[in-house]
Amino acid sequence: MDFEAISDAKDAEQSDRGMSEKIAEVPLNPEFIVEQAHIFRNAWVPVCHESELPEPYDFRTASIGSENIIICRAPDGKINALLNVCPHRGMLIERRPQGSFLEGQASGNPKRITCMFHAWQFDMRGNCVYVAREKEGYQERFSKDDAGLRRLRCTVNFGGFVWVNMTDQPVAMLEEWAGPAMQTIENQISAAPLEVVHYHKEYVETGYQAEALQYLNAAKAGALFDYGHCVITGSDLGSGKQDSSARFPDPKSQRVTCVHLFPGYRFELSGPVLNVSVVTPVDRNRIMIEHRGLVPQTESQADREMRSKYYNLSHGPFKTPTTVSGEQSEKSLLSEHYLEEWSMWMGTHPEGLSRINEKSVADQDGDQETNQALTGPHIVVIGASHAGISMADRLRKNGFIGNISIFDRQVGGPMERPPLSKGFLLGGGETVESKSLLRQKKWYKANKVKLKTQSVVHKINRDNKTITVNNGDVVKYDKLVIASGAVPKELPSSKGIGNAFVLRQPADANAIRQAANNSDSVVIIGGGYIGLEVAASLRKKGMDITVIEAGERILARVASKPLAEYLNKLHEDNGVTVITNVGVEGINQEAGIFNNVTLSDGRVIKGDMLITGIGVYPDSQLASDAGLETQFDNGGAILVDNDMRTSDEDIFAIGDVAIRREQTIAVESVHNAQETAAIAAASITGANRPNTQTPWFWSDQYDAKLQSVGIVPVQDENVYQVERLGKRDGAVSFWSYRGDELVAVEVINDPATYMEARQCLDTRRFPDPKQIGKPSYSPVDSGGSRS
Amino acid sequence: MKEDLMLDLERKIEKTIYKATLALDENNWSEFFELCDESFTYAITSFSPEINKNMTYFSGDRKELVGLMDMLPKHNTDHSPLHRHTSVYSVDIAEGGKSATAISSVTIYQNMLDGINSHLDSGESRLFVIGKYIDQFSIIDGVPKFTNRETKLDNRRLDKGSHWLL
Repeated sequence: MDFEAISDAKDAEQSDRGMSEKIAEVPLNPEFIVEQAHIFRNAWVPVCHESELPEPYDFRTASIGSENIIICRAPDGKINALLNVCPHRGMLIERRPQGSFLEGQASGNPKRITCMFHAWQFDMRGNCVYVAREKEGYQERFSKDDAGLRRLRCTVNFGGFVWVNMTDQPVAMLEEWAGPAMQTIENQISAAPLEVVHYHKEYVETGYQAEALQYLNAAKAGALFDYGHCVITGSDLGSGKQDSSARFPDPKSQRVTCVHLFPGYRFELSGPVLNVSVVTPVDRNRIMIEHRGLVPQTESQADREMRSKYYNLSHGPFKTPTTVSGEQSEKSLLSEHYLEEWSMWMGTHPEGLSRINEKSVADQDGDQETNQALTGPHIVVIGASHAGISMADRLRKNGFIGNISIFDRQVGGPMERPPLSKGFLLGGGETVESKSLLRQKKWYKANKVKLKTQSVVHKINRDNKTITVNNGDVVKYDKLVIASGAVPKELPSSKGIGNAFVLRQPADANAIRQAANNSDSVVIIGGGYIGLEVAASLRKKGMDITVIEAGERILARVASKPLAEYLNKLHEDNGVTVITNVGVEGINQEAGIFNNVTLSDGRVIKGDMLITGIGVYPDSQLASDAGLETQFDNGGAILVDNDMRTSDEDIFAIGDVAIRREQTIAVESVHNAQETAAIAAASITGANRPNTQTPWFWSDQYDAKLQSVGIVPVQDENVYQVERLGKRDGAVSFWSYRGDELVAVEVINDPATYMEARQCLDTRRFPDPKQIGKPSYSPVDSGGSRS
Repeated sequence: MKEDLMLDLERKIEKTIYKATLALDENNWSEFFELCDESFTYAITSFSPEINKNMTYFSGDRKELVGLMDMLPKHNTDHSPLHRHTSVYSVDIAEGGKSATAISSVTIYQNMLDGINSHLDSGESRLFVIGKYIDQFSIIDGVPKFTNRETKLDNRRLDKGSHWLL
């Protein structure tokens, strides 16, 4: 035994005594250990803020998943995260919570991280720069170049927070993991450099999961984001409405928005301050929460004092306690979303979805097939849209007994799309959402349909008939059905602006609903059905609405002129301002938040929110990349034959993403989704081709229920409309004819007439256009001409 | 100022601090405010070595404090009584005897009553916070009244507890 070994033994005996006692105190709860290993060692953690280490050589210490880490600022200003453990004997190196390595310490040279055990020294990047008795002790067997502090993934983002991930292969990079959720406050927290001015810790006798669920249940509703995150927009502080334009960092801000990140981090914009709470589990039933209060680095003394006082009252350790309430929080969709994410990290997801390990396994093994356990043919559907779910349904109804897997990029169960622009925007949250599920969970189980949510298909490999999913899975298919739907068009100038939205997915609707709770006015670009339905819904909330349509009239592409005039008047009677025949010159923001629209005629339309509803384009990039034939060289809908088969005989496309080769007009509707799914399912299973129906569509606006059947050829100058009043007050229909041929009927508040019109078109029985305007004339019983 | 008068004032100031301690232990806010000047202000502060900054956790003037105390019965709060142990370390009376500054050490224990599981926890005493009282007094007609109290805590870890004047 050499000198160092003797010294080690003595030092270890003394120095580790305290450690051993601590280790003995740590309860070996198996679930706690698994959670630490699965979740906290794999998740991104906001360990501190860059203002806590402002100068080169400043450092801060923290711990993640029972590992000690040190965060330090290098001479070049870059912040690095290192394992705070000496590679020599595993000793904890730096024990202070914060400090600077610029000056020398009792057991350390200036500008060095020094282990007090044997004085090994490291620079701010973790490189080992000194090993005591290197030559004497190790000769040529070891060099300092062989050692270093374990460097961890570290990035500074989202308002200057320092994020660390313990694993080399994170489930996702920080931007992908938290970006979409943090984007809701990003413009505000990055508008000015921030600094932490309040800090305190709190130990709570509960688990991190219970703490998160309690918060999420109390919040009741919010927008859901991938990876278990959500955004909750709270009530404004005070009356809130007197200065609704002020947003953090403006000291007059009254707005409340909380980004809740899985597994337990809150970024809470609370009026004039940003409160960030970060949970660190201590034991299964004990957590430490760090609370930080952040304000702009540069501001007046009066503003700083005002913010500080507000922070103390609302978030500080001596904050005003909550008022007495007997209300019990019920389980919310937010908590279900959280729990689903939790199960994916813990390996308990009912459908076997997992966040960890799979990617790294796939990366190591290359493109391996991961569905070898499947027996029988495998039909893979990309997109749990109306079309995708209908496809699975029809396959089973046609007697298909093989495997069906649906991969969908969205969070949570697939939902109906039509309600998103209607009642969903008005609802309080879970009731509307749960009612809008396309299928309940038990349906998937009963029909043996594997639904894989939050799964983005990156690639179709037609040669070996596989798809590659974002978690690294390579899945073999026998038949592939693309039902990826469409993506809303955005105006380039509205991208990245706060409070500017499009509407397609439940998350979009959630975000709009949350923003609307804190807004008084909205500008809607696009006078199509989506824009008008949103206008009607938000008007019911009392908001000021302006609809801007570039065409000569609203619904110029999809509805007859009389119907458009009817709906235009309906909106105006309800207090909506409808501006037509004018373009949008500019979309203007203030501090990153939408402020107004400049029109081509010079008018400026102000609003708290912007919603763009100018149409969609098919989500066909995946197909295009795979070499499938599309409408245009650079995209467009996927071209299919009458069996919905693409240019690859084993790949089908249905719904909004597909268009038949002879089809001239794309039809985006539930009917189209269902019908194309039925056709493709029949083609795959050899079942009888379904009877085709005349296309139908419906819309709700205020108290008007619109049902239409057939497609109005709006560009055809030979088509004309006949108005027919219904038997009940407010019932009216517009019958579109080309000569004597009935081509479409649009019905308001008259289901009976709608059924008659549908019967006429399905059977190609054409009522007399000269008579149809008379309420006494029966379109069905009158005989009429046949084609 | 004569030495005996100084000593007398010092004793009065010490006595005022101890009376305040008893009043606060009993949650007798009105008795505490009787010991305070109309201009009284109060703050709980701490220095955080974690972020290297002085912090104010709580502050208010007399009117705000009275309002806060009046609201206490309507709030969810921990009802575990606090027990303060105060030692007056120094009293410095300004020239002229019209004002004074006193520094006391304070240790506050929490006698558990309604913890997470009162069946297990009630009756136990725990160390709650430690720190100093830095008090300013006005002295009118030989009667000292608090004009300012800074409760300067060493704690940055502050768990569930009683959120009122310490």
